Amino acid sequence: MSFLEQIEPLKQAALVELQAAGDLTALEQARVTYLGTNGKFTGLMRQLASLPKDEKPAAGKAINLAKTELENALSGRRSELELRASVPTEPTDFTLPGRRRVLGKLHPLTQVTDDIVRSFRKIGFVVANGPEVEDDYHCFDALNTPADHPARDTQDTFYLAGCGEGKAPLLLRTHTSSVQIRVMQQQPPPVRIIVPGRVYRRDNADATHNPTFHQVEGLYVDRKVTVGDLKGTVEFVFKELMGPETRIRFRPHYFSYTEPSFEIDFSSALTRRMGKEWLEIAGCGMVHPQVFENVGYDPELWTGWAFGFGIERIAMIRYGINDIRLFYQNDLRFLKQF
Amino acid sequence: MKITLNWLKQYVDFGWTPDELSERLTMLGIEVEGVQKIGGEFDGIVVAQVITRHRHPNADKLSLCRVNDGRGERQIVCGADNFKDGDKVPLILPGSMLPARPGQPSFPIKVGKIRGVESHGMMCSPQELGLPDQVDGLLILSEDARVGQPFAEYLGRAGSDVVYDLEITPNRPDLNSVIGIAREIAAITGNPLKLPQVEIAEGNNPADRLVAVRIEDVELCPRYTARVITGVKVAPSPDWLRTTLEKVGIRSINNVVDVTNYVMLEVGQPLHAFDYRLLTGGATGVAAIVVRRALENEVFVTLDGQERKLSGEILLIADESKPVALAGVMGGQNTEIQPDTTNVLIESAYFKPQNIRATSKRLDLRTESSYRFERGGDPSICEWASRRAAQLILQTAGGELAVGVVDAYPTSVQPKQITVRPQKVNELLGLELSGAEIENYLSQLELFPGIRKPCPVGVERSALEPLTIRVPTYRVDLKREVDLIEEVARLYGVDKIPATPPRGAIGSNEYDAVYDELAAARTILSGLGLCEAQGQTLISDSVAKLAGPDGLVPLANPLSSDMNVLRPSLLPGLLDALRHNLSYKTVDVALFEIGSVFSQTEKGNTEHRRLAIAMTGLRQAAHWAGDSRDAKVDIFDLKGLIEEFFDQYGVRGISFSRRSEMTTLFVESASIHLGKLRIGEIGQLLPTLARQYDLRDAVYLAELDLDTVLLRRNPGKSFKVLPSFPAIRRDVAMTVPEAATHESVMQVVRQAKPANLEAAHLFDIFRGKHVAGGQKSMAYAFTYRHGERSLTDAEVNAAHDKLVEAFRQKLQAVIRES
Repeated sequence: MSFLEQIEPLKQAALVELQAAGDLTALEQARVTYLGTNGKFTGLMRQLASLPKDEKPAAGKAINLAKTELENALSGRRSELELRASVPTEPTDFTLPGRRRVLGKLHPLTQVTDDIVRSFRKIGFVVANGPEVEDDYHCFDALNTPADHPARDTQDTFYLAGCGEGKAPLLLRTHTSSVQIRVMQQQPPPVRIIVPGRVYRRDNADATHNPTFHQVEGLYVDRKVTVGDLKGTVEFVFKELMGPETRIRFRPHYFSYTEPSFEIDFSSALTRRMGKEWLEIAGCGMVHPQVFENVGYDPELWTGWAFGFGIERIAMIRYGINDIRLFYQNDLRFLKQF
Repeated sequence: MKITLNWLKQYVDFGWTPDELSERLTMLGIEVEGVQKIGGEFDGIVVAQVITRHRHPNADKLSLCRVNDGRGERQIVCGADNFKDGDKVPLILPGSMLPARPGQPSFPIKVGKIRGVESHGMMCSPQELGLPDQVDGLLILSEDARVGQPFAEYLGRAGSDVVYDLEITPNRPDLNSVIGIAREIAAITGNPLKLPQVEIAEGNNPADRLVAVRIEDVELCPRYTARVITGVKVAPSPDWLRTTLEKVGIRSINNVVDVTNYVMLEVGQPLHAFDYRLLTGGATGVAAIVVRRALENEVFVTLDGQERKLSGEILLIADESKPVALAGVMGGQNTEIQPDTTNVLIESAYFKPQNIRATSKRLDLRTESSYRFERGGDPSICEWASRRAAQLILQTAGGELAVGVVDAYPTSVQPKQITVRPQKVNELLGLELSGAEIENYLSQLELFPGIRKPCPVGVERSALEPLTIRVPTYRVDLKREVDLIEEVARLYGVDKIPATPPRGAIGSNEYDAVYDELAAARTILSGLGLCEAQGQTLISDSVAKLAGPDGLVPLANPLSSDMNVLRPSLLPGLLDALRHNLSYKTVDVALFEIGSVFSQTEKGNTEHRRLAIAMTGLRQAAHWAGDSRDAKVDIFDLKGLIEEFFDQYGVRGISFSRRSEMTTLFVESASIHLGKLRIGEIGQLLPTLARQYDLRDAVYLAELDLDTVLLRRNPGKSFKVLPSFPAIRRDVAMTVPEAATHESVMQVVRQAKPANLEAAHLFDIFRGKHVAGGQKSMAYAFTYRHGERSLTDAEVNAAHDKLVEAFRQKLQAVIRES
């Protein structure tokens, strides 16, 4: 058989064998058989050198074409077999649980505080803070609650030990209102701040009390600030916090550092779920002129309002939490719910 | 304070239902803490008489009756059979309720058709009314029962009433009385306040022949009045007096004492009745009342039988030989009203509120009387209240009233005058009221203008002219203009003040940015898989000492030894949280807290923000497959978390240095440094402590001084051009003595400064097979790269060989050929 005549049968045989290879091992064997160093096709190519000179170009072209075809067939078959090999033997059960990358959670009090801060910031308030260990002056006296005032009962206040004799007594602030005084002492009006923070009352822990809890205080001092402004702002903030259908009601009340003073009730689907039309939520009022005088603001020029509420209370109402102690137990089953 | 609806109605008319009253009081600023309906289960049930009884046209077993209810006739269908014409029976009128039986709601009676015939009410059996009589059919009442009489009255039971428990704010002592509340209602309804008439017949003896009053400390007792009644008969109180007191929670004692309590509740003035005979001089001549301070360590037995040791700040009522009452707080046993008391001295006085408050606190003795005096009473009412009490004592216990009153009142209080500017009212409330409207609102509260400057003829009085208001002495809360503005707001109706949208200045405060920085820290930490905790600020000194024995801040008045110091560290709180979680079988816990810690230094108390982290249990959420699914967290999980936190938070230059000694908290730990500053610690909890907290797996803790971190934070970011030339990597595996640390390796790298070194990365540490004892194998990958061209192997080799040589020299490293 001439050289050229040998090419086609050998190629066909190789193609059949490559195609017949059932897996990558068989395919590799077929490759070695034909295209390996000692393979049949490689052997044929070696004969090319011994051909007469005039036959070489045609023979070379033909055998190279055949080799390309074989190599294409080989890589085609290899891709097919590789793909087949990559399919899992058993189908994946996509209902099995995934391997989670778990995010931590912010404490519900942090989340509620952030929401409160966000609503106030929309209307020009900034966040301020002050120390939790306070003195009588900032916590009581400057807020128009002198030592013999009935509203100032030591029963409710934690005092630090060893600060009595000679030194000014130190206490754990009973409200964030002490920060009003610190801020006003430090900056001239106008003032527009909110103060979230920890406060302390000497109550035994039960479902509605914890010696430590959180309040947020709002203070706005400007020229010609009115009760109407107070109502408008309170309505805005509580609608932001509790939903647009929230209604707000003001009732006269008494706080020594505001005059007039009010308590704020709100009403929404949340209160109705608790079986109540109105639920007390905050205290507020127009800053008492005496407080302004205490910090050196002229009450004839400046008016303002302040209001405060408990952050736990907001969170409890919003999420339906029934025991304030849950906030301080840090039970992951609790924390992960928010 | 408790009042009842019926009592209140004696002083002012109003047409509100009990619930409406509750709502009105609330909106006036008098919070209603509780409403309790008492009696009244037979409301709407009257005595009725059957006029005729016929058979129901459509039913054999029913009767059709005509019944007189006292006001007229009505038709009733009835199923009972035990009655006849002329019988008197209980009848429930339509609109009223059939009394509830235990566990069942009460049932409303309506006009309705029974078998086609209308029935206007229901005649009742005793069973239906919950009465004990067993009758088959209607309850037949006695013949002398009055037709139309309320059935409750027929039974001799009290009518219905409603008890309100009111929260009176401390600024309004005038509201601690039924008349005080009535006055508020009169103000908003416009109906007159009906005060009792206290004109009373006096006997023959002048009071000042029977008693003399001497006030030694006028500052503490500005007014003291005494009246004497002789020949009283002490006995149980009449029903009206006893039930009125009992409804509001006051125990009835006898007619004389009950009257003093009644008048106190009625008008707010605490009174005291002494047995006149037991006062020195009382038996023979003129009894003397001396108002004086107690002697130091003077001993006195109060009405409750307690012996009390007094001090010089305490004000006493005494006679010439002994104390007889703690002024304004409680009377003495030695002069209390006895069953055989015949002559009574009635005290009605005014004491300085601060002093009563101090006494009450010092002796830990709080009474209805001290409660009222310490909030501030009305000196002007003393005489009236005394007269009112005398009137009621004469009425309930008989006797003869001495002529006049002994009234020691050296300086009588004058009503204050306060000027209120209509413009200021409007500015503060956001309203547009005229002066006349404001005057009108105030006058509803008996706040009338004082003397007014005459207005020139032909000049109209300005609507905004200031008003000078005369303030009654009982309104101790009204001190300045803004207090009157509040009264205007209350009477106008706080709810009616229009809300105006937020407006005005933008606030500024330096803390505002800090708030965001703390929020950013929380966001990163929760993103790293930690849940945020909030611990108690107050913890016990014994656990606080775990964080270090010095500088604890103890409370002067702790609630318990579990909460007696301010936390010096957040870690004890996190340990509590771990214990809590483990006790509820949550064993994989990773928490952080950001909060304040407190300490005492020579300079005073300090308050710092800290960040603390606690981890225990599995490294990853439990899963059903994977090589490391059972891996527990170790110290490098916590360290890596902190490193990542600092990186993300924009803090560079953190280092860790091992502490050689154990601490009260850690079996092994390291200090965390930021530059040269020590900013915290990280470590593994002592296993002995872990056991105390019932923690099973190893616990890793870290705490950082967040205030310092905030100061050093630089969250600014800037872009670096991406490398465009290839890197060349060279690995080194070497055995080094155990004492060589990663940091010491890196130090050699930093000193050797190999040219073009981009990064050094530790990828293996190995001990054991082929590594001698006391040695370890460390494997590093070094990446070399040039920013502007490709490096050649030769130049990388030159730099790298120098580095390897430095390892040999400085670390006694033996390079392992791979």
